[in-house]
Amino acid sequence: MKNIFLSFAILFSSLLLANPVETGHAKASLITNLQDPNQESFHIGVRLQMQDGWHTYWENPGDSGSPFDAEWTTDEGVIVENVQWPTPITIPYPPLMTYGYEGDIVFPFQVFRSQETNLKEIKVDFNFLICADICIPESASLSLDLSVIAPSEVLNKQIRSLPTKLISTESSIKGDNLVVRFQSDAPFLNAYLFPREDNYFSYPETQQLVNVTGNTYEISIPLVSANLESFSGILSLDGEGFLVKEELQSATGGMSLWQAILFALLGGLILNLMPCVFPVISLKVLSFVSMGGDDHIKIRNHALAFVGGVMSTFLSIATALMIIRSTGSMIGWGYQLQSPVVVGILTLIMLGIGLILLTNINIASGLTSLGTNIQSRNDYSGSFFTGVLAVVVASPCTAPFMGAAVGYALLQPSFATLPIFLSLGLGFAGPYLILAIKPKWISALPKPGAWMETLKQFFAFPMIATALWLMWVFMVQTSGDALIQLLILGLCLGAAIWLIATFEKKWKWFGLLATIVLSIQIFNNLPTPSLMQADANSTSWTPTIESELQSNNQAYLINFTAAWCITCQTNEKAALGRDEVQAYLMNEDIQYIKADWTNRNTDIAVGLAQYNRTGIPLYIFWKPGMSQSKILPAVLTEDLLIRYLK
Amino acid sequence: MKLMLNFLTFLILSSNVMAAEIVLQNPKVNKQAPAFSGIDSYGNTINLSDFIGQPVILEWTNHECPYVAKHYDENNMQAVQEQAKKEGFIWLSIISSTPGDQGHVKPNKANELTELRSAYPSHVLLDESGDIGMKYGAKTTPHMYMIDSEGILRYKGAIDDVGKGMQFFSASLKDAINYVAIQLNDVKDNRQLEISSTVAYGCSVKYNYD
Repeated sequence: MKNIFLSFAILFSSLLLANPVETGHAKASLITNLQDPNQESFHIGVRLQMQDGWHTYWENPGDSGSPFDAEWTTDEGVIVENVQWPTPITIPYPPLMTYGYEGDIVFPFQVFRSQETNLKEIKVDFNFLICADICIPESASLSLDLSVIAPSEVLNKQIRSLPTKLISTESSIKGDNLVVRFQSDAPFLNAYLFPREDNYFSYPETQQLVNVTGNTYEISIPLVSANLESFSGILSLDGEGFLVKEELQSATGGMSLWQAILFALLGGLILNLMPCVFPVISLKVLSFVSMGGDDHIKIRNHALAFVGGVMSTFLSIATALMIIRSTGSMIGWGYQLQSPVVVGILTLIMLGIGLILLTNINIASGLTSLGTNIQSRNDYSGSFFTGVLAVVVASPCTAPFMGAAVGYALLQPSFATLPIFLSLGLGFAGPYLILAIKPKWISALPKPGAWMETLKQFFAFPMIATALWLMWVFMVQTSGDALIQLLILGLCLGAAIWLIATFEKKWKWFGLLATIVLSIQIFNNLPTPSLMQADANSTSWTPTIESELQSNNQAYLINFTAAWCITCQTNEKAALGRDEVQAYLMNEDIQYIKADWTNRNTDIAVGLAQYNRTGIPLYIFWKPGMSQSKILPAVLTEDLLIRYLK
Repeated sequence: MKLMLNFLTFLILSSNVMAAEIVLQNPKVNKQAPAFSGIDSYGNTINLSDFIGQPVILEWTNHECPYVAKHYDENNMQAVQEQAKKEGFIWLSIISSTPGDQGHVKPNKANELTELRSAYPSHVLLDESGDIGMKYGAKTTPHMYMIDSEGILRYKGAIDDVGKGMQFFSASLKDAINYVAIQLNDVKDNRQLEISSTVAYGCSVKYNYD
């Protein structure tokens, strides 16, 4: 049987090998946007110019019809990806509904080639169903000579209008409908959500749209089956397409709002124990201790001021995130550390705190009032800013625990984001809140004495260790030269702290001024960030790598990581980077892919969102035989990892 | 909920389109199959209730549809019909094409087609108004339904598993998993099916939508 088709194919290709080809009710042609014979990645498009009244279909054709089928013949070293579907339109035949394309449409395919390959001819057997009232299967064998450079503006135009932006949605099953909530700041008249899954939905002519508040909308898609766990598709707003992909909350692995709030509370509490936070926090407690057990009202007020500082900082972070998100950009937790400037400033703060702890000085300025100054007992603003500082220094040390809750928060509409962040703050400030309610409990701690000084000095080391780690992140993001500049800044900072501590007023201000001038000089000369070098035995991640490898039956393990993600680094040391693991991957022919998010990268953010994550680490594993790729736990050991891969 | 439904019905009736006529139903499997009555190619009135005590298969068809054509050209549909008949099934081929549209045939032509293709339907129903099609939510040709001898709908959906995509036209139907053929015995024994609902594929049923 196969042979008959093969000979058919050969017969047909010898007859029809051309470009363009009239197929009966359409003109089919191959076009490319290749501009330079050395380009490693470009697009090829199959253009169908259909006669008036005829249409062909989207991936999910709706009630009837079929998507096309393309079989590529390429030279070795040239890979043609799956099609990137343009935004479809509704083609109603009441009572039936179909999804597809009319008129002149281009189906773009991304092509990758190795530099060693000379681009020659590329061929495709393109089979498609074309319908008016009636349907006809038509086909074209097309070929294109890639050694001739003739970039097509028609193709580029189609690529520009492809749906590539992921719109965040929150969906729930209500009665017989899937209600999908989304936000759009741009006004629109018509909305239609084209579901990719073909066995869960019915396809009405219009979908009910409700404007919930301001820029928030809900669109309803009638369901035929209620056991929907996830769905994907394209949301068309006046013809502009957005990608939709969501795991429903009822599905395993999902989180309800209450669960997320609880996790946030716990995460916040645990955050108190992080190496970069603990010293700051402990100092606050020490200052309470030194106030003694007698002055309960003061302790209460200080504790409340601290809680206020923590809460207002979390509130500001939540607000900032919501503002950034409303502009449509994809953001994730750890986002703040993708900017070398932020990392640099954090490094200096950590270093500064470390030095202050070591030098045993009291600095009576609001910024660095670490609660050590017993003299200014009524300075509640000091406690407030300690709260702010604690949150700031906590930001690089977010536990995986907290990442899940924050990740969830970021995918939610505003009404859910806010309570999650507030709960995170409440967890973080929890111990002090309790202290504010029961100031007597401070007496349970040891009596003030010389031990406090020793402990305080000891706490300098976790702070400096954190600073060292941040320096490394900074170096990966920028360069060794920039690191030296940062270290010089650190030196200036040290000098400034010493000046302030040792000298009288006039010299103090002079020292501070000198430090600021120097700092500005150095920061102005920071080199631009450069990309991290990829490991020798890992492949870099691309947005389409998963579908590509799955279609090749190639097992893979994807590691979403970043230099600033401490859990990721731990996992790499404890599991992924181990020789045994690497050998196992090699022997079992599992391709190891690294998605490096050290610097800002929208593609990776979108990739993470497809797994409903906004933060890292994230490990994805797939091998032939698995229907879906699997998410591995966020904390890995060598044994655990190998067991999962088996 | 009831209030909502009433309101919806009111909306549909009050809007001036003939919307009420073009609403596809969605009958549930393992529930009573919707009753219907239609005229066959010999002018007889056929009621579903006539066949209580016998299992029934409904096949939506349109001889000009390339999907249907392939099933008949490869003698695949006929083979299933023959097998079903042997097992005591009543086979109703239903044409819901509106007059003037693809697949619509006069009674004589319907009988001619049966003979020409050596098909084995018990009856060919000419459902010009599309009433039966709407009641069953028939969307494509072919679209298959199996009803057991107690009148319970046991299966709705595709005839086999090769319909997704254009590979249908190059695939061998003999190698397909034919959902109807492999489940004949279960339906005959009035049992629930392992595969009771699939997504039908093919051309759209040519209802009167103008």
